[in-house]
Amino acid sequence: MKIMLSLFVILMIVLLPIQAADLTARQIMEHVDDRDDGDNGVSDMVMTLIDKNGNKRARKIRSYTKDKDEDKQRIMFFMMPADVKDTGFLTYDYDEYSKDDDQWLYLPALGKSKRIASSDKSGSFMGSDFNYSDMTSKNLDAYDFKILNEKAVRGAKTWVIEAIPKTKEEIGETGYSKSVLFVRQDNYMVVRAVHWVDEGGRIKYMDSPKIELIDGIWVATKRTMTTKKNKKKLHKTELNFYNVKFNQPIEQDVFSLRRLEKGL
Amino acid sequence: MWSRYLLILLLFFVSGNFSYVSAESNVSSNELDSVMDGFDEDIVEQEVDGILDDFGDDAEQAVDADTKIATASSPWQLNGSLILSSSYNYAHNSPAPGETDHRGLSRLRGSLKLELKADIIDGWKGYLETKLSHDLIYQIQGRSDYSHEQLDSQESEAELGEAWVQGNLARSLDIKLGRQLVVWGKSDNLRVTDVLNPMDQRESGLVDIEDLRLPLAMARMDYYQGDWNLSGIAIQEIRFHKKAQLGSDFYTGSVTPIAENTPSHSSSNLEYAMALNGLFSGWDLSFYWARLFDDQPHQETKSSITAFEHGRIAMLGAAMNIALGNFLLKSEIAHFRGLEFTSTPNQKKRRTDLLLGVEYTGFDDTTWSLEVADRHLHSYESALATQSIKKDEWQTALRYTGEFMHARLKVTFLTLLFGTPDEGGGFARLQGDYEWMENIRLIGGVVAYHGGDKRPFTHIGDNDRLFLDVKYSF
Repeated sequence: MKIMLSLFVILMIVLLPIQAADLTARQIMEHVDDRDDGDNGVSDMVMTLIDKNGNKRARKIRSYTKDKDEDKQRIMFFMMPADVKDTGFLTYDYDEYSKDDDQWLYLPALGKSKRIASSDKSGSFMGSDFNYSDMTSKNLDAYDFKILNEKAVRGAKTWVIEAIPKTKEEIGETGYSKSVLFVRQDNYMVVRAVHWVDEGGRIKYMDSPKIELIDGIWVATKRTMTTKKNKKKLHKTELNFYNVKFNQPIEQDVFSLRRLEKGL
Repeated sequence: MWSRYLLILLLFFVSGNFSYVSAESNVSSNELDSVMDGFDEDIVEQEVDGILDDFGDDAEQAVDADTKIATASSPWQLNGSLILSSSYNYAHNSPAPGETDHRGLSRLRGSLKLELKADIIDGWKGYLETKLSHDLIYQIQGRSDYSHEQLDSQESEAELGEAWVQGNLARSLDIKLGRQLVVWGKSDNLRVTDVLNPMDQRESGLVDIEDLRLPLAMARMDYYQGDWNLSGIAIQEIRFHKKAQLGSDFYTGSVTPIAENTPSHSSSNLEYAMALNGLFSGWDLSFYWARLFDDQPHQETKSSITAFEHGRIAMLGAAMNIALGNFLLKSEIAHFRGLEFTSTPNQKKRRTDLLLGVEYTGFDDTTWSLEVADRHLHSYESALATQSIKKDEWQTALRYTGEFMHARLKVTFLTLLFGTPDEGGGFARLQGDYEWMENIRLIGGVVAYHGGDKRPFTHIGDNDRLFLDVKYSF
């Protein structure tokens, strides 16, 4: 009886934490993917590009987002620097992964909207350390996920999840050969990530040092991405978000070429 | 006893299972520990003093496509740029006696562009652009060495650029009145259906792309319905390409310039255009119709006076984009009626232009595009050859754009060829655009011309230039 009791206690000790968070890595990532990231959103972003010598360049961008069924639509306008002011970017990010996003760029100097065809999302997002795949949701089916362990990030418990692309095509599209994601256990936010860049021996560190609950939505109001090679910092990008609001009365036709060409 | 075995088995399984995780993982625990040092723990609040001023805190208002998205701090915005532009001719031979020596430094021009934007009332905005420039090179090299035509054309300029008022008459109906640009077509390098605004052709290959198109006074109305947009345009201002003047090393006309008649600004000389644009997932489709004056004049002799005249032409065209993965396929077709030529007087001819192009964005931060166009002249006559006009005129454009140093440096290579390299001529332009510091860019490069039998390349094969601009934007 004593042995049985011991066995029961050990079983409880070993299994309870797993039962409490009895989720596979895949299930956790599904929660991440399904997490409410807000609808009808407005935000202002300051993107600061910092080179290895600490020199800074800043861009100011106002963006609007809207969910259209399962798809996400976004329109962004550059407000600074002066030479790219009023440049606009319109994206229809389709939930269906086999369907490429629709993207248009408006260049006021040319007076013309230009369609951008790019299923490859490994390119730099506006010159930053983030690439386009960092700014959009992932196709979970394209990855093998595994829980490596648990760690606390700024006092919050996280699952440390390894994400390995299943195919070379996925590596080519995202530019990452593997990633480790730190998912907060209380709100399923990816608050940190390490990405191994497929080429060049670089590693990129994504961090969300500031997250806030805005209109009931957890939002990373500060995100950084630091590119390093052999532990030396090559470049860093800081994204700071201001005036973040959700559930704004933004009409569907804001996300159109008509609006893109009219500007703010 | 069996319970102990069970216990050991359980512990073995549990420990073994975790070991299995570690063994299978592509990220070993050592590797993970190692990379964890890479996170900055010294996160400090960003230096944002002043940078947020433009944002305001006013994004709450209702927005739709007809109204202003967000309120800026002021309804008036003044922007602009100050440019110091220089070029150096390195390939000219010594000029013949009495001719202008274009060798060496050939441009030292200061330009000021001012843009005033105004949010007039809800849903209505205005825009006013002025350009002032003065080229010091003529004083430095000696004004007497240049023709008065060239000095008049290029020494000093004060020009009204775009100047318009735009608003919405109804929820799906926009109007835009004033001097403006309307860009048609899908091509970025060759013009097939993009026929409305004339171009600055005074220095082919050297004109900044922002200044290439010349605005026209027009009234434009746009109606939006679902995926479609119908645009109707009436053009009041009759204006043609700016061309190099006598004395310029880009001038290709006769020694004695022939007068050029510009149609008067009257209701009977209005130009009209319509466009129907469809925008769909993965592809776009546009149809165009225009009735214009031909930008290319022909000589006519009336009452013993020979002058350049601009004939009325009509254009019917279409353009399509298809996005396939990292490829963007482009096509344009345009059919022109009413073309007149000096060498075939009193005849009106038709021409069909076809463009096919592809753009590839599969390499990081890089875009390659290739466009090929054929301009097929119907009812071709051999007399047209005297004007170096061919039955089929082929044009090829290859463009490379790459961004480096986190978009601090943008490199563009463009080569444009008429016919084969041995035939019509063309040019190649290599340009670097470097963000030197906030709001200041250095733009420099080289343009190499290839002489041929197509104007203006008949005369400009040795016009190769180095150029360097410093641009301050505010």
